Amino acid sequence: MALIFGIDLGTTNSLIAVMEEGRPKVIPDPVSGDTMLPSVVALMPGAKVAVGKAAIALEPHLNVERDGRVSAAGLEADGQGAVIRSIKRYMGLGGDEVALQERHRYTFGDFSGPVVRFQVGQRTFTPPQISAEILRTLKAWGEAATGHKVERVVITVPAYFNDGQRQATKDAGRLAGLEVLRLVNEPTAASLAYGLHSMASGRVAVYDFGGGTFDISILNVKEGIFEVLATNGDTHLGGDDIDQAIVDLMLEGMSEAMRHDRQVWNSARRVAEEAKKCLSVQAETTLELRLPERTISRRLSRQELERLAQPMVSRTIQCCARALKDAGLTAAEIDAVVLVGGSTRMPLVRDEVERFFGREPLCSLNPDEVVALGAAVQAGVLMGKSGDMLLLDVVPLSLGIESMGGVMERLIHRNTTIPTIARERFTTAVDNQTHVDIHVLQGERELAKDCRSLARFKLGPLEPAPAGMARIEVTFLVDANGILNVTARDERTGREHSVDVKPSYGLTDEEIERMLEEAIDLGEEDLAQRLLIQARNDAEQILGALRKQLAEYGDLLEAAERGAIEALAARLAAAQSGSDRELIARLVDQLNDATTPFAHRIMEQAIKTALEKRSVEEVS
Amino acid sequence: MTQAQCPSCARLQAPRLFCPDCGAPLAVELDYFTALGLSRRLTLDSGQLETLYHDLGRRLHPDRFANRRAAIRNASLNATALLTRAFRTLRDPVSRGLYWLELHGEKLAADNKRVPPELAEMIFEMQETLAQLRDAASGSKPERENLRAQVASAHQRVETMLQDALTELHGNFERWDASVNPNPDLLVQLKAILSRIAYLRTLARDLERALELHDLR
Repeated sequence: MALIFGIDLGTTNSLIAVMEEGRPKVIPDPVSGDTMLPSVVALMPGAKVAVGKAAIALEPHLNVERDGRVSAAGLEADGQGAVIRSIKRYMGLGGDEVALQERHRYTFGDFSGPVVRFQVGQRTFTPPQISAEILRTLKAWGEAATGHKVERVVITVPAYFNDGQRQATKDAGRLAGLEVLRLVNEPTAASLAYGLHSMASGRVAVYDFGGGTFDISILNVKEGIFEVLATNGDTHLGGDDIDQAIVDLMLEGMSEAMRHDRQVWNSARRVAEEAKKCLSVQAETTLELRLPERTISRRLSRQELERLAQPMVSRTIQCCARALKDAGLTAAEIDAVVLVGGSTRMPLVRDEVERFFGREPLCSLNPDEVVALGAAVQAGVLMGKSGDMLLLDVVPLSLGIESMGGVMERLIHRNTTIPTIARERFTTAVDNQTHVDIHVLQGERELAKDCRSLARFKLGPLEPAPAGMARIEVTFLVDANGILNVTARDERTGREHSVDVKPSYGLTDEEIERMLEEAIDLGEEDLAQRLLIQARNDAEQILGALRKQLAEYGDLLEAAERGAIEALAARLAAAQSGSDRELIARLVDQLNDATTPFAHRIMEQAIKTALEKRSVEEVS
Repeated sequence: MTQAQCPSCARLQAPRLFCPDCGAPLAVELDYFTALGLSRRLTLDSGQLETLYHDLGRRLHPDRFANRRAAIRNASLNATALLTRAFRTLRDPVSRGLYWLELHGEKLAADNKRVPPELAEMIFEMQETLAQLRDAASGSKPERENLRAQVASAHQRVETMLQDALTELHGNFERWDASVNPNPDLLVQLKAILSRIAYLRTLARDLERALELHDLR
């Protein structure tokens, strides 16, 4: 059977792993040996893309001016491009959901519409398309290292990702040419890796504080069954936010134009990240931000950093308290606490977690790799290679429908084990009603308007009948990926009803199909374009050289020879301005052949001249 | 009940979670006791219930059928969802009692939906205290602390009553299971206890929320 790979598609870094002889292993970049791919994507003119360190290297050159125009060396003059970090923060978001303070970081298409779009020159890119580039690079790593095709994968997502964010992750996989067999929650994946590692059993709390998201999951681990009891979190709370707090501190008192300048922000963010890492081991460091006109320099102590980070860490602890309550447990009843994610390297985080749970947390596995390892373990489960292990996860947020008076009626409560099914019967309110509209919501608030709209369904067409006669049973199924599927059945006829789905956010199936087609077309067009440019360059090179040679060594040719060569050169020059790549290539070859004797004579001539010159020098 | 066709070997089977011939999951609707292979008894050992749930879950879960045909995967999805619902319903004695009533064509009667008379006075008093605590948000600190203490002690009282009601419920369950021809009084009693627990749980939740809100301020 084909191998199934595990992928951790992280906010800051992404990894790919696979089961090897019964153990999960992270696959490194075959060239550099790095195990982590920075989740940074550079989008350049001519549909060119760079991912990871290559994209980071372009960062100082792109996003230079506010409109995203590029004028740096090495890039096409006057081209346009963008380097995008932390794309995961934008997954599943509608245009209007981009936080105000993040709107100046990139050029966005517009702030309406069901999907946020990044504007790069004339083109726009959605978050799934950008994430797909990261996945493609990981796919290439996996294929180079194992010699197997990477086609079927398990991808991890934050446990607290909502339906739209999960769907967007699946879309990214599809756009990268991957079949996403399963989405696994990151903290659960980490517990699988730990479970395989130490066969721990009992009640485990997994505290996962990453670059952009926070999750807490409480699990009951028993004889290979990993049963999630409750989960909580915040999909927009991570190390990025701590970096931002340091950036704000550095740029305090500066003009708004300066604070919103992309280049300034980028440099400041880098300085902040370095300082934060440094303060995990040192007590004090210097923040030094070099700007074109001035350099900002300032001391930062661990104490100060902790004061900045405290509100965010407190929010994570509140999530922990809520998760425990939902699990019906107290902190004292937890047998083990596991730390996952880069942000748990901060001493403040460790101390606060230890204080809350009253026990020292475990971090024996590398917090950067443990989620990818767990994804590989789950891939192993799907291949039937991870023994008797079984994961029972939960839906993180309640699902329901809008009922009379704009109230959210819960059909599936948060922390319900998945897969799960809820059935609800609908009928008509007036005579001869032809459709029933259903508005599906996700969230914990009482009013529909305060919950996140998932989709609107139209049931019908219904046969004309008096009000209340129609009996339609709608099945809401949340699958093992935590994604909602809706089907409807007419109770009288037993027939399946068509369900016309209008997702409130995210891409429709048709849009994904179109993107897939475009990607293929663009890929071919792009390749043809590149080959044409190359052929033209070859022609230019040979014609240029010929002009010089004819001027200098023209007397080495017979008139007839020269006529033949010049005729060929004229044909090539004409073809060069056209777009027939093959004609150009053929003429280049012919001209090459025709000028070979000429080239030989020039060479002989050159040698003779050189020898004569030397003998003159020797004599004198 | 009608027979179900196995999505794997296509044989017709009596409704159950698995095909006895090939082990594939069957897409069927079963009552929760049957789904878990239990007789319809009200007393249940929670440890045994969990073991059954885990064993069946291991065999039925969609992860076990990731490489099989869509029909088999769907049957596994449905069977797993049913199993989970069965486990969650039967694990909690109150939802188990209510489900058991439903299976026997009974439900809480209209008079069970009214506030149980023995709780009426206490519920009224506690609502008063809760309202005072809400209104006192801007009041003096000692006043608020005093009200908080009252709510906390009310919460304690309700929790104790809940424990007692649950003990009573178990007693009722045992009498049902022991009798061949149950006394109709047992049914009246069962409904009354379930209704009381429902009210006590709501009250406990309201008090808890009020305390949380107060402590957040």
